[in-house]
Amino acid sequence: MEAYLLNLVILISIYSILASTLNFIMGYAGIYSLAHAVFFGVGAYAGTYAAMHVNASIFISLPVAMVAGAVLSLILALPALRVRGEYFVAASLGLQVLAVTIFSEWKSVTGGIGGLVGIPPVNVAGLDIFKPGQFVFLTLAALVIVLIIINRLVHSSFGRSLRAIRDSESAAAAFGKNVPLIKTISVVISAALAAVAGVMYASYLSFINVESFKLDTSVLIMAMVIIGGTGTQAGPIVGAALLLLLPSLISYLDFLPQTEIGAIQQIIYGLGMALLMIYRPGGIIGRKKHSSAGKE
Amino acid sequence: MMVENTKGTEDVLMEIRNVDKAFGGVKAVDNVSMDLRAGIITTLVGPNGAGKTTLFNLITGELSKDSGSIKWLGQPINRIKPFQAARAGILRTFQDLRLFSEMSVEENVLTSIEAGSLPLPQTGNQRAARQERVEYALSRTGLADKRKTRAKDLAYAERKFLSMARVMATEARLWLLDEPASGLDPHSYEKFLEILREEVKQGVTVCIIEHNLDIVIGISDRIAFLDRGRLLADDEPQTVLNDPALRAIYFGERA
Amino acid sequence: MLALQLTITGLQTGALYALTAVGFSLIFGSTRIFHFAHGATFIIAAYLFYFMDISGYGLFLGIVAATAGAIAFGLLLNRFVYVPIQRDEGSFFTVFVASFGIGIVVENVVGMIFGRGFVTIQTPLSFSTEVMDGLFIAPLSWISILCAAAFFGILWCFLKFSHMGMSLRALADNPELVRVFGLNPRFISACAFTIGSILVVPAAIISGATSGLNPAMGHHVMLISLAATIVGGIGSVTGTLLAGLVLGLAESLALLYVDSQWTEAVTFAILFLFIMLRPSGLLGRSAAH
Repeated sequence: MEAYLLNLVILISIYSILASTLNFIMGYAGIYSLAHAVFFGVGAYAGTYAAMHVNASIFISLPVAMVAGAVLSLILALPALRVRGEYFVAASLGLQVLAVTIFSEWKSVTGGIGGLVGIPPVNVAGLDIFKPGQFVFLTLAALVIVLIIINRLVHSSFGRSLRAIRDSESAAAAFGKNVPLIKTISVVISAALAAVAGVMYASYLSFINVESFKLDTSVLIMAMVIIGGTGTQAGPIVGAALLLLLPSLISYLDFLPQTEIGAIQQIIYGLGMALLMIYRPGGIIGRKKHSSAGKE
Repeated sequence: MMVENTKGTEDVLMEIRNVDKAFGGVKAVDNVSMDLRAGIITTLVGPNGAGKTTLFNLITGELSKDSGSIKWLGQPINRIKPFQAARAGILRTFQDLRLFSEMSVEENVLTSIEAGSLPLPQTGNQRAARQERVEYALSRTGLADKRKTRAKDLAYAERKFLSMARVMATEARLWLLDEPASGLDPHSYEKFLEILREEVKQGVTVCIIEHNLDIVIGISDRIAFLDRGRLLADDEPQTVLNDPALRAIYFGERA
Repeated sequence: MLALQLTITGLQTGALYALTAVGFSLIFGSTRIFHFAHGATFIIAAYLFYFMDISGYGLFLGIVAATAGAIAFGLLLNRFVYVPIQRDEGSFFTVFVASFGIGIVVENVVGMIFGRGFVTIQTPLSFSTEVMDGLFIAPLSWISILCAAAFFGILWCFLKFSHMGMSLRALADNPELVRVFGLNPRFISACAFTIGSILVVPAAIISGATSGLNPAMGHHVMLISLAATIVGGIGSVTGTLLAGLVLGLAESLALLYVDSQWTEAVTFAILFLFIMLRPSGLLGRSAAH
């Protein structure tokens, strides 16, 4: 039971990092990405590569992963953010599809479909951390640091610019905001921090393969943000916890076919997304839909 | 400081020359040339679809011109982007306001005067100076009590004033106001006119799109009349308002 | 000969891509609704036909069921999801998220009913014959191309000559027009959804017979539709049509140089090149805001 709980907390922490970093661009900047699992994956593969071929110290693997995530996001953001928001959705979907192919084919780095096994435990200042009882503190610490960074950013003038862009891009530009630059920076930050989750994930499981970084994962992360509440800091964490608990909850309901848990889970959150958008676009944590809301 | 208006002889802030813009064969702005002079209020009037807002969009770079040129303070700004226009001192409001609807009143004004393009910390001095200007804009527009209210929760008139407050807090030299007074009750638009006159006295130049003839008469130092993209007149208010041909176009569309 | 073979396959694929993409483009262009569940429409039409086929109802009833299902799905989604959202929020992304959620539901419900693996609609029309030395073509290739041509012909006449068609075109060109012309936006969007959904049906059925179906292919359909809409130029039906053909051809001809798992990368590369070099697309206007 304890092992089960620890495992759950670790996974919730990792997915909370992913959901919070996606929320940073989705909820605050209004950039909808279907490629978040790509940066998760790049972080995992790059961190693992560094750990296996250079050094397992977290002070090596983490920066390597973050830089890799940041650089890749720049390739996506630079062209796709110069133009309308719809383009980013399309380009990120394209990147996600392409990345799965690359993750499966670039065997020397990713181990192909089989993935990478025997990933060394993460090393913090000479200490190997692999027991779940220790690892849980590492992931919680990583989550807290990520949340603090995001919180500071959101409440800075940069964060106000992001929210202004989200609410009205043309008005933000009319008040001197360099919209493409601001959006690009936010995407790079988001991707670099998502890569942190990748490093945690890889060293925790000591095994990764492409299955964890497919479109389904991107969709799951997006659902966590939306169901929890976009543009709130607690929302993504609530969403991550809820959606990761969902499979266990479903398995308690005997009348549902147990072989279809994955599908039922997806149906529930798909329906949840649609219903929330109609009745409560702010998500569970977010504000209720406002009756006096005018059209902007 | 402009205290006395010597109309027609003011410095030209902006020179618009032979500007064209067509949408799918329809000329929205058709060979328009006009000057915006410093320290006065120029009113753009004309029927719906006359190209008034399009002209604003062409000035700030929201849309690109098909041809023609625009100079700002003597420098050509033909390929300017909206954010560069703002930084050069040209600000505009929108007919549909485009407030930052999820942000508070105060944040709306604050973000309008922050650079905020890089995630860098700001100094205490910068912050204090900005806060002062935010306070100025909020108190002038009577929104100080509502500073924590989300923009989308404001009443209609308050939303219009917030749109003005965002501009007032900046140090822009030219304001392009797109129907800022439409739909205001008499009390509010008196207040609006008073604010506008005061700001112009302090050296701001205004170009305003307006339909309400009372307001047009009340504030204009100059009137430019657009119809189907063409500039039919650009002159003293009396001259334009008394022109029977223009009156026919103007009132014809209202009937 | 391989190149010729791949060109014909490419044209066939491209014709089907064009049909699906034009459906999306028409809806998006005239209503500004980012109908991500367009991929789900494809799945519904394809699986309804598949169901009718394996149940032995025959071709005609299958087509009727697929068409009815596609239209009903489009209209219901518009009426019960998009309209309520647009009534007070109307943000592009709110609509996208809702649409996306529905797409997930459809994918999984279909997966639960029909299984997640590939299924193929069996027909003798998909057997290739050697028409020339080393050139194999199945009757379905011709059917795809002719079918697309016929549908586009009808669509072109509709857009060109009917009042509703002209309204749709005008809206795609300039969404502000709806107010100026005093058109009924509800009716127009219902119309756009009907036509957009019908266009998916032939592509769905023929794909089911040629490349097979699986419930997750909605995302692929959406990627192609989005890519074609952007490459063609948002708001341009002709542009989207051309772009669909180009994408199909490129995907097929790329097999001369790369393995088949990279075909989606080719789509992505083309999309990216356009976003970088010509964001307004083949025939579109400026992509600026």
